[in-house]
Amino acid sequence: MDISLLFKIAAIGILVAVLYQVLVRAGREDQAMMTTLAGLIIVLTMVIKEISNLFDTVRTAFGL
Amino acid sequence: MAYGLIGLVIIIIVKQYRPEFAIYISIICGILILVFVMDKLTNVINLIKSVIDKTNINSSFLSILLKITGIAFLAEFAVSVCKDAGESAIASKIEIGSKVIIIFLSIPIISNLLEIIIKILP
Repeated sequence: MDISLLFKIAAIGILVAVLYQVLVRAGREDQAMMTTLAGLIIVLTMVIKEISNLFDTVRTAFGL
Repeated sequence: MAYGLIGLVIIIIVKQYRPEFAIYISIICGILILVFVMDKLTNVINLIKSVIDKTNINSSFLSILLKITGIAFLAEFAVSVCKDAGESAIASKIEIGSKVIIIFLSIPIISNLLEIIIKILP
């Protein structure tokens, strides 16, 4: 829940970028697009979990 | 503060390779800072509640006020994220939505105020 989350997302981002380049060089553009989308979805789920966490804390704090 | 700076450095690195992830990182950085601030804010709110309970002001106004600040708090977060991503149109829609909700919530206060004024007038 802490700063490690930021590093995790950065790591996934760079990994996907490298994978994309490798796959494009290997001539498989479609699979490269797949890996990019997969990376995006994984990071999206993490971000959504954090957003729901934020909304819960705000709701409890402000009694919404 | 530390979160912001670290997030900023990471965004600059990642922006060259994958611009989509830069938006994610800025969102997560914002969330971390907000959550960090939230627990400080709850102490302030509890203090205010205890002070208000001592006075004879009924607590319904305070709950409405807290709701309004909560909505403003979240709306501002969403608006800044949208502006950061370059979608200022969506940002303005969110702003309008939050204003409408705040006005809707403040109706009882306004009606109460009007009643008081009418009583005062001869």
